[in-house]
Amino acid sequence: MEGLKGFMGDRLVKKIIIGEGARHYELSRDILKKLPDVQLSEEVHGDISYNRHKNMDLDKETLRLISFKGEFLKPCPGTKGYICCGYQILNIGTNCPMDCSYCILQAYFNKPSLRIFVNLEKELESIGEIIDSNPERIFRIGTGEFTDSLALDHITGWSRLLPAFLNKKRNAVLEFKTKTDNIDGLLSSQYRARIIVSWSLNSSDISAGEEHGAVSIKKRLIAAKRCQEEGFIVGFHFDPLINYREWADGYLKTIELLDRYIDPRKVIWISMGCLRYLPELKPIIRKRHPYTHILDGEFVNASDGKMRYFKPIRLEMYSFMNQNLNKWHSDLGLYLCMESNEVWLASFGWSPQDSNGLSCYLDKRVTKIYKN
Amino acid sequence: MINVSELDERPGPFCMSYCFDAKNLINSFNTVGLINRPLIRRNGTGSIDIVTGYRRILALKLLNRKSIPCIELTDPDLSDRDLLLLNLHDNLYTRSFNNVEKGMILNRLLIYHTMEDIYSSFMGLLDISSRREADLLIRIQELDKYSKDIIASEPLSVKTIESILALEACSRSLALEWILKLKLNINQQMLFFDYFNDISIRDKKGLHELLHEEDFKDLINEDGRNTPQRAKRFIEILKTKRLPGLTRSEKAFAKQIYELCLPENVKIKHSPFFENSDYLLEISFKEGKKLKETLNALGGIQGLADFKDPWKV
Repeated sequence: MEGLKGFMGDRLVKKIIIGEGARHYELSRDILKKLPDVQLSEEVHGDISYNRHKNMDLDKETLRLISFKGEFLKPCPGTKGYICCGYQILNIGTNCPMDCSYCILQAYFNKPSLRIFVNLEKELESIGEIIDSNPERIFRIGTGEFTDSLALDHITGWSRLLPAFLNKKRNAVLEFKTKTDNIDGLLSSQYRARIIVSWSLNSSDISAGEEHGAVSIKKRLIAAKRCQEEGFIVGFHFDPLINYREWADGYLKTIELLDRYIDPRKVIWISMGCLRYLPELKPIIRKRHPYTHILDGEFVNASDGKMRYFKPIRLEMYSFMNQNLNKWHSDLGLYLCMESNEVWLASFGWSPQDSNGLSCYLDKRVTKIYKN
Repeated sequence: MINVSELDERPGPFCMSYCFDAKNLINSFNTVGLINRPLIRRNGTGSIDIVTGYRRILALKLLNRKSIPCIELTDPDLSDRDLLLLNLHDNLYTRSFNNVEKGMILNRLLIYHTMEDIYSSFMGLLDISSRREADLLIRIQELDKYSKDIIASEPLSVKTIESILALEACSRSLALEWILKLKLNINQQMLFFDYFNDISIRDKKGLHELLHEEDFKDLINEDGRNTPQRAKRFIEILKTKRLPGLTRSEKAFAKQIYELCLPENVKIKHSPFFENSDYLLEISFKEGKKLKETLNALGGIQGLADFKDPWKV
């Protein structure tokens, strides 16, 4: 919790803007009660997209309470030619108070500010219907794709709302994905079943230099340890892996920290993905983070239009991680995020073949972990 | 008639001409004389501001005319903004503007208009495609005369101008010098800056330091290549520095293929950047007989079975 004030104390939220039709939701009222001294205004002329070129600060000190009109539950879009895990994204808000130099969200959204979808609770019923109407399927749902799952939790109370909802669903798991140690809300929840708390991990060098506002790797792992002790299943995501001069040493140290703090038998999965980005992100990174070295590696334009490390570099990194994580524990549910069949085979020695295969593999992890 | 000594050659408050060639105008005056008289006005100090016809006046001066027929605007209701717009529209219907001129015009318009007004009312007139481009053109005035002359006269993309402006002032003319020297096309200009920016950040190296490295010096000093070949080689050197692993693999791949001594009608290709695991064998032939011969010949090539990913060689 110590790091929380650094990036999300009341000081940081300087303004709250209430979107059209958002005021009457309970979550809006809760948030306003929690932040009584923050400047408040109503959005008058609808949602205004902004000129990303000029607004490089992304207005992260403004909280917009939105009645979201789009779909709350959507499958991860995946990318042609690369194997996708078949994850379902629960869209609870967009943008993030942290400011990682590599963050795709810098280029992904054309709307500024931290956006909280205050009508989430109302929509949970229809999401529940989707889950219930497919009892043969396992829904692996995550909230950490378009925002950090827990960074705003002390304001939004997502950890109060969502585990209670999930408790009634037998064929779904919900993953809170974070770079914070903001776990008090989760720990105070009475629910543990089918809740996965996962952390994005990196080397400490990358964490310190590139993940602005996030807590240290050590603090993340101490938080993960607490979650494990309190009965939660945890997961980890080495994503993005960054190729820099001392990368092997850096990632090895993080694996050593995992060994120090984490019980590997209560880890559902660990994913890996080398840094990849849409070409339009590069100038944004260069402008917003002029001193970053994350773009130093050898990036080529891959078949999905994203910039990826030249394949032999990815193979070397994945093989290294696979080997060293397996030394720690042989049953960690390791998987690659958005990689080709060939890269799987060459670095892991096996492949799920396609997205269906990877989905099955991860579904089996869910069944196995929660059966035990 | 206005005595030429009264007409200042320096660009006045309404001027929107930069780096133009008076030859065509001089030919025109020699053939048919001055058709449209320049518009002028006397300012508060009594001296003359050229409102329209700056180029015509300069061309007539080059023809050693002692006096020039002009129309003097005396209407006191005409503001400076009106006169600026008058000149803008006078130019719009006879020619297009180069990027330096567009920057000049935008800066002049900014005296009377907000940037939002300019975005909404003038971008179309000036053939400016985005707000970002407008913002960039305004900044051209920061550049030195050498750089502005090149931007006005050479086919440089907006992206290149942006890259030039992003360089330290001391590197700008050097970058332009190399673009001119090698006649880099728009695509090559983009690659030049893309590779240079990445190398510069990765290796903490400025443009002067980079371009003084041996391979670039050799490129300029060697005689065997023409300009397009040098331009191509220039980009290749930059690519090798930026993407050494990829370049090594491309070379190793080419060496493997060369050593296979494939029949002339056979090619083996790799996917872009080797991202796809498959290689492509291409055989060109006119008749089945030739195809069969080729396939038989391929069957006899010993090294074919040892062909592998180039980074594994």
